[in-house]
Amino acid sequence: MAQLGSGALIVALALAVFGIIAGVIGARRQIPELVDSSLRAVWGVTLLILVAVGALITAFLTHDFRLAYVAGRSSRDMPFYYVAAAFYGGQEGSLLYWSMIAGLLSSLAIFLHRKRDRALIPYVAATVLSVETFLLVMLNFVASPFVLLPVAPQDGAGLNPLLRDPGMMMHPPFLLGGFSSFTVPFGFAMAAMVTGRLGDGWIRAIRRWALVSWGILGVGLMLGAWWAYHVLGWGGYWGWDPVENVALLPWLTATAFVHSIIVQERRGMLKVWNMALIVASFILSVFATFTVRSGLISSVHSFATSSIGPWFLGYLAIVIVVSAALLIYRLPGLQSDRAIESVVSRESGFLLNNLIFAAMAFATLWGTIFPLVTELFRNTQLTIGPPFYMEVNGPLLLALMLLMGIGPLLAWRRSSLRLLLRNMVLPGVVGLAAFPVLLYLWRAWVPSMAASVVIFSVATTVLEYVRGARVRHRNTGEVYPVAVAMLVRKNGRRYGGYIVHIAVAIIALGIIGSSFFQVEREFTLKPGQTGDIGPYTLTYRGLDNRVTAQGQSVGAVLDISKDGQPQGSVESYRFFYTGFETQPTARMGIRTVGVDDVYVVLDQFTQDGTAGLRVFINPMVSWIWIGGLVYVFGTLTLLWPAPQPVRQRVAQPVREAALSEA
Amino acid sequence: MTSGAVANPAVAQSRLRWVNPKLLVAGVVILLAIGFLIYNSMQGSVAAYFVTVGELQQHTATEEGQRVRVGGQVQPGSIRLNGPGQPIDFTVTDGSHTIPVVYRGVLPDIFANNTQVVVEGMYHSNAAFQADTLLTKCPSRFTATQTAQH
Repeated sequence: MAQLGSGALIVALALAVFGIIAGVIGARRQIPELVDSSLRAVWGVTLLILVAVGALITAFLTHDFRLAYVAGRSSRDMPFYYVAAAFYGGQEGSLLYWSMIAGLLSSLAIFLHRKRDRALIPYVAATVLSVETFLLVMLNFVASPFVLLPVAPQDGAGLNPLLRDPGMMMHPPFLLGGFSSFTVPFGFAMAAMVTGRLGDGWIRAIRRWALVSWGILGVGLMLGAWWAYHVLGWGGYWGWDPVENVALLPWLTATAFVHSIIVQERRGMLKVWNMALIVASFILSVFATFTVRSGLISSVHSFATSSIGPWFLGYLAIVIVVSAALLIYRLPGLQSDRAIESVVSRESGFLLNNLIFAAMAFATLWGTIFPLVTELFRNTQLTIGPPFYMEVNGPLLLALMLLMGIGPLLAWRRSSLRLLLRNMVLPGVVGLAAFPVLLYLWRAWVPSMAASVVIFSVATTVLEYVRGARVRHRNTGEVYPVAVAMLVRKNGRRYGGYIVHIAVAIIALGIIGSSFFQVEREFTLKPGQTGDIGPYTLTYRGLDNRVTAQGQSVGAVLDISKDGQPQGSVESYRFFYTGFETQPTARMGIRTVGVDDVYVVLDQFTQDGTAGLRVFINPMVSWIWIGGLVYVFGTLTLLWPAPQPVRQRVAQPVREAALSEA
Repeated sequence: MTSGAVANPAVAQSRLRWVNPKLLVAGVVILLAIGFLIYNSMQGSVAAYFVTVGELQQHTATEEGQRVRVGGQVQPGSIRLNGPGQPIDFTVTDGSHTIPVVYRGVLPDIFANNTQVVVEGMYHSNAAFQADTLLTKCPSRFTATQTAQH
């Protein structure tokens, strides 16, 4: 298996280098055969990477412990799904996984766009292959998953217990997949800069593929938060850890991009900015992959000890220099067709949205690399804690929420201020009415105000659906639910986007509720004793010992009652996996009662059943997961191919004319 | 300006109009506000010194009474669990220097002899380090050799 895998990787590297040369020469000299072979090279490289992945998974499943990578990450007693998932659990395997996802998505993109975007596609292929070349050099010579041990051990070391969790099986592939998927929009961006073609076809392609990456990465972030909440046991879902921050960065720039590309599409503006955003998203994705893998953030000195560090930094430097040079070279071709006419317009709304997203990305990056900056200049490291991120990103997020409510009401070019205000009356009343109610419930100014702003935005969004549905109802006679469904179906870009807005609003409410009203208490209880936290009373029933195939578990069982009413029970575990007895792994006991999560962490315990318990009441965290599901649904409607409007088919012959006008 | 936006001279003209004064002022105001927000949040007590055990003991003067993050390894055999609800005592070492730590909080998952840890709390040179945060190395970077040390 090791020979098959490493053989496939070395052939893939050769093919990738050939494909780059073939693509560039074929496009320069207009030799269609060479262009075709560069496209086939993308598919071939992907196929060879799949062979290597297959070989690695087979080695895992057959417990081939001659491979150092397999021996280090699996053992015979692990269930097969964790053994298979262990393939992306380490540095080498995750790089292989990265290159696989990049290859699969690029192959699909090139297959779909090979006819329509003929001029761009050779350069897309060459760019994608250059990314694969970098990864394949790493996989072949620096971090090969197929390195053999001199002596094969009897059994492997096993996967770290913290990683043996369904959430852990799900969130790294999505996160890494999100990072690697930015290869495709990056390929289109480079192709456009090389050829100078930024027409309709390009915008459609890059928008679609940026949305794909943005969606996958968003799901990855959400799953990561879910995993942290259920496994890490500090009562929260986002700790502003460097690893989390760097994963958030490309999502922020990509979110800015999916908004501002609309301005370019409709008004021919912000071309340089958009190009910079999508290239930055790719660069930040590579940076994130590398940071997660190498631990650069703990110290500037640590990357020197990591084998992949210098390579990644070198690659990042090359990408930055090349794309900046191309961007400067193309500046004349990237001038705006029009100027912003009015401060009160959809354009400036999008501009402000972009400014805020960029500011959030900058602040988060600044805080994350601050220890490195101070180490360079002051010879001592200063770290920045979560309060910094919350103090900066909190107000910015709130401004975004407000803008999310106003933005859809703004007209392109210029809005009449009076019309805007009139459209804001009804949602404004809803938001203002919510404020005293929330203030009465919560007795706190800031969260009530923040939540009212979010409710205002939800109201404008809902009103958009109502307006649209009313028009459809009048014109087609559809009943209202059908009319709403048809709105989303026929104009998925607009009304699907609003679904994502609603998802974000639900998540924002969850964040507001859980960050302002979390209650935490520590208990030391003997079996039968009770503890009070907020309106809840917890009765500790005792410890529950179990032996499973993978080890032992100890669980503390608590009955929950709220205002005297029983609300079921909750069990918080510590697992002791065989081979990792010194590293017990906690599984939080979480029970959702209404909007509250009762979150129980089992700390230390003694033989007589006395247990140290840390209990959190986390209000509205479940809203974040609900919002996450809505986000997925909204993203899918955005990506769902729109039904071909009749108009477009008729307009086919005049499309060229329309193109030159845009 | 709306109808002529297609032709080339109009493009050149509209490029000049890009610098719409109202927009420029709005942009500058917003950027300043954001800059102030970042600057303001940087002040406060959010920054903590990140030092090794040796560094902490070399320049105690600057870190005395400050919020400090100390990185190091758990000294083998130093962990004392005092039972449910009680703080955990252990010693952090960088190989040559050591510092006693009292940690109040939930026992983290990966916590054993030789584990790489970062403890955070207020530093007073004449007392044991009172940690309120205990971070252990991220498991995603664990490799066979590191887990084998346990």
